[in-house]
Amino acid sequence: MPVHLTINDKPIQAHEGQTVLEAACAHGIVIPTLCYHKDLSPVGSCRLCIVEVEKLRGQVAACNLPVAEGLVVHTETPALVQSRRTVLSLLLQNYTDAGYASHDGHPTEFEHWVRYYDARLPDGTSPAPRYPVDGDPNPFIWVDLNKCILCTRCVRACEEVQGRFVWGVGERGSYTRIIAGADTRMLEARCESCGACAAYCPTGALDHKLSIRQGEADRKVTTTCTYCGVGCQFDLNVKDGKVIRVTSNPNAPVNGMHLCVKGRYGYDFIHHPDRLTGPRVRRYLLEGGKKVLHEPAWDWVETDWNTALDITARKLAATRDQYGGSSIGVLTSAKCLNEENYLMNKLARQVLGTHNIDHCARL
Amino acid sequence: MTNRKIKFKPVSPQIEALVREHGGQPQAVLKMLVELQTEHGALTREMLDDVARLLELPAARVYGIASFYSMLEVAETAQSFAMSKIRVCDGPVCWLCGGDVTSIGDAIRAGHPERKVERTSCLGLCDRAPAVLVGDEQAGPVLAEKVSAILAGKIGKSIDYSLPRPGEVRVMLAHAGKVDPDSLESALSVGAYQGLQAALKRTPEEVISEVENSNLNGRGGAGFPAGRKWRFVAAATRTPKFVVCNADESEPLIFKDRVLIDTNPHQILEGMVIAAYAVGASSGYIYIRGEYVSQAQRLERAIEQAERSGWLGENIACSGFSFQIHVHRGAGAYICGEETALLESLEGKRGEPRVRPPFPTTSGYRNLPTLVNNVESFSAVPHILQRGAEWYKNLSDNSAGGTKLYILLGHVNWPGLFEAPFGLTLRQIIDGFGGGLRHGSKFHFALCGGAAGTIVDESLLDTPIDYASAGKGISLGAGAFLVCDERVSPVAMLRELMHFFAVESCGKCTPCREGTRRAYELLVRLAESGSRPGDLEELARLASVMQAASFCGLGQSVYLPVTSALRHFKNEFAAKIRS
Repeated sequence: MPVHLTINDKPIQAHEGQTVLEAACAHGIVIPTLCYHKDLSPVGSCRLCIVEVEKLRGQVAACNLPVAEGLVVHTETPALVQSRRTVLSLLLQNYTDAGYASHDGHPTEFEHWVRYYDARLPDGTSPAPRYPVDGDPNPFIWVDLNKCILCTRCVRACEEVQGRFVWGVGERGSYTRIIAGADTRMLEARCESCGACAAYCPTGALDHKLSIRQGEADRKVTTTCTYCGVGCQFDLNVKDGKVIRVTSNPNAPVNGMHLCVKGRYGYDFIHHPDRLTGPRVRRYLLEGGKKVLHEPAWDWVETDWNTALDITARKLAATRDQYGGSSIGVLTSAKCLNEENYLMNKLARQVLGTHNIDHCARL
Repeated sequence: MTNRKIKFKPVSPQIEALVREHGGQPQAVLKMLVELQTEHGALTREMLDDVARLLELPAARVYGIASFYSMLEVAETAQSFAMSKIRVCDGPVCWLCGGDVTSIGDAIRAGHPERKVERTSCLGLCDRAPAVLVGDEQAGPVLAEKVSAILAGKIGKSIDYSLPRPGEVRVMLAHAGKVDPDSLESALSVGAYQGLQAALKRTPEEVISEVENSNLNGRGGAGFPAGRKWRFVAAATRTPKFVVCNADESEPLIFKDRVLIDTNPHQILEGMVIAAYAVGASSGYIYIRGEYVSQAQRLERAIEQAERSGWLGENIACSGFSFQIHVHRGAGAYICGEETALLESLEGKRGEPRVRPPFPTTSGYRNLPTLVNNVESFSAVPHILQRGAEWYKNLSDNSAGGTKLYILLGHVNWPGLFEAPFGLTLRQIIDGFGGGLRHGSKFHFALCGGAAGTIVDESLLDTPIDYASAGKGISLGAGAFLVCDERVSPVAMLRELMHFFAVESCGKCTPCREGTRRAYELLVRLAESGSRPGDLEELARLASVMQAASFCGLGQSVYLPVTSALRHFKNEFAAKIRS
């Protein structure tokens, strides 16, 4: 059912069930937000997306205001600007930045709105840090609650995106803080280190530990994760030919912002000195000799693909001929494409003549 | 990679038994935590983890609940408490009456180092201020120099409200002191449950119309027409429906619900049953603040008696209508008086308000249609049904019908509680019902409505007060009036109020969480004359943002005392600014 409303004197057609914020977004009208994220259920707590609605009292949060026929909404009146500036200034009074950022040259969402509304601390105030800067020993997620503005996006991301329920809200009033488990360390609260909380954090209070102080990327490369067959997409942030961080790509068709610990943080193999970049075979195979179990004949040596594949084919054929197809087992990998796995199935059953084929994802 | 290995720990058999006792219901988590704390003195993280595992709740959520409610305490180790805690009231009325948390606490610790002392925002014992809670027992008045008497068992007497003051019109308090609140027979002898019998003879629709015609406004403070709310719930199609009685009164100055429970609990139950019949609810809850232990027990006793005699439970008074009432105890949180926060708390969560719409009338407890009314609203209902809407409405010659409980505190000769129609002026309240100001006192200001009320000067002494008078600058709120003489500074009073709001903010939305805290810091500076230029403008700005942009009604009402005090006592505030 179409619903007609007016936002900033512009007639807008929305559909039933949408919020004013969604309707505004769909028509290119920007309403500032902090606790809202389109992937997460709205809570309406930061009070930055407040708007004025004619015939409604006070300033109403657009993120959980359903559209209704004939609503007349104003999103940027002087009173709203004043309220937003005060709200941001209140948040600034609990915010200290120790300078450890993994940021990619762009201001965080919070910094953006602080600058946009020119919010400042009241004269003569200088907030003091209230928490340790690197507050959790999690190997991948950096916790600095001094930058936390209690938007609870991390709590909702952990619950709604990852289904892990690590984060929660503890205490109350101005002592309110984000807690992991029963106020313990993240891993003890059964964290999987997927990094969703850091990906959704609008301030950098939760951040990617491996990327702290790695600087600004010179380019982003959208790619598909090689770890498993789901096919998640993300952006490799590259600086001087080196991957310095992985960021979620909100447009990824399969996974959106969601990634697992391997996809988001398991990229150190790319530049690892032990990484294999070509096929290797035992030296005795190249020399055509007999199997020798000691060095140097047992050493791995790099060779070209044709040689390596020839050797493999020869050995497989010989084994099949001598001992029968079922003496061979094939294990395929989640790192291969579905098509490649299909071809391995063909190879095993039709060429090698074995039903012994399995896949690592079943282990 | 320095993380410790997580070892498997079996759940404590004691906690397993406790959870089993509560049927493994996650809604009962608050109850379980209160019981655990009573046994162990405090809650440890291990206990919270165990409870979370058994209830299949995230540990963070259970910790969030335990750390939210002020009566619960999370500690490193369990403490074996021979003696129960002493909670000292830190509310503005106790402050005005010379109660000082620090000195009372120090005096207790000096004489009784084995006792544990805690501050509490407000105990709802303003008529016994300064008040303390010794274990479960309400005590007061107590001053620092007299704490040993309290600890020796002399807890003081609760105030007797059995004698009406001149000019009172008693309906809800008609039998106060004349019936034994713990005896159903005694209540029946003065006409208890006759309103219910009258209601059961009519259709639910007729009952709602009667309440509508009586002009009964919700007595919690906002004054929403009760009949209209009932109609919304009755019109909701989903079942089961619930009736919830809000007995969380945690706002400083307010203790009327406590008196109603202590004088006539059956009146409240009767009102709830009538409401349930009218809206088609099958079960009800009384959400009572955790500090009202004896009142909760009194209600439980009354429920049991009523059930035994067929006034509650299955097939009430042979009408075929059935309704159960359960008592749910809070654990210390002002915010749970906000109806959606109350429902969250009732579901065993942190008491944070919900987004509205949807309203509780369609989506309340467990997301089902729920009627939430105040103790005082339910108390009025039996009389409306028994004696008719016309009679009730005409008790006041005002747009609001019936009578209201008024609380009068501060520097008057007869502080306390009385029942009267709407439309009284502050002068009538002070001089007529309160016996005038104390000898030697001169009127300076009054805090009207409750802690989240208006601070007025003598210019409003003759304005009739009702739900609409807030527009003229004097609010009725929950009906409390704190009168202060010229020795009390409105700046200091506002600081005490703001301290309460800051400590009791739930922390969900930015304006209330941070704004109350900033305003409090600012008022401390102002009261100590250490303020900076621009502080008054900052205070006014904070108040207006809290009013306009806070998430719930509690945050939105913090501005009332601030802006009214700034309006009437601008000079006193300005004098505090360092030149």
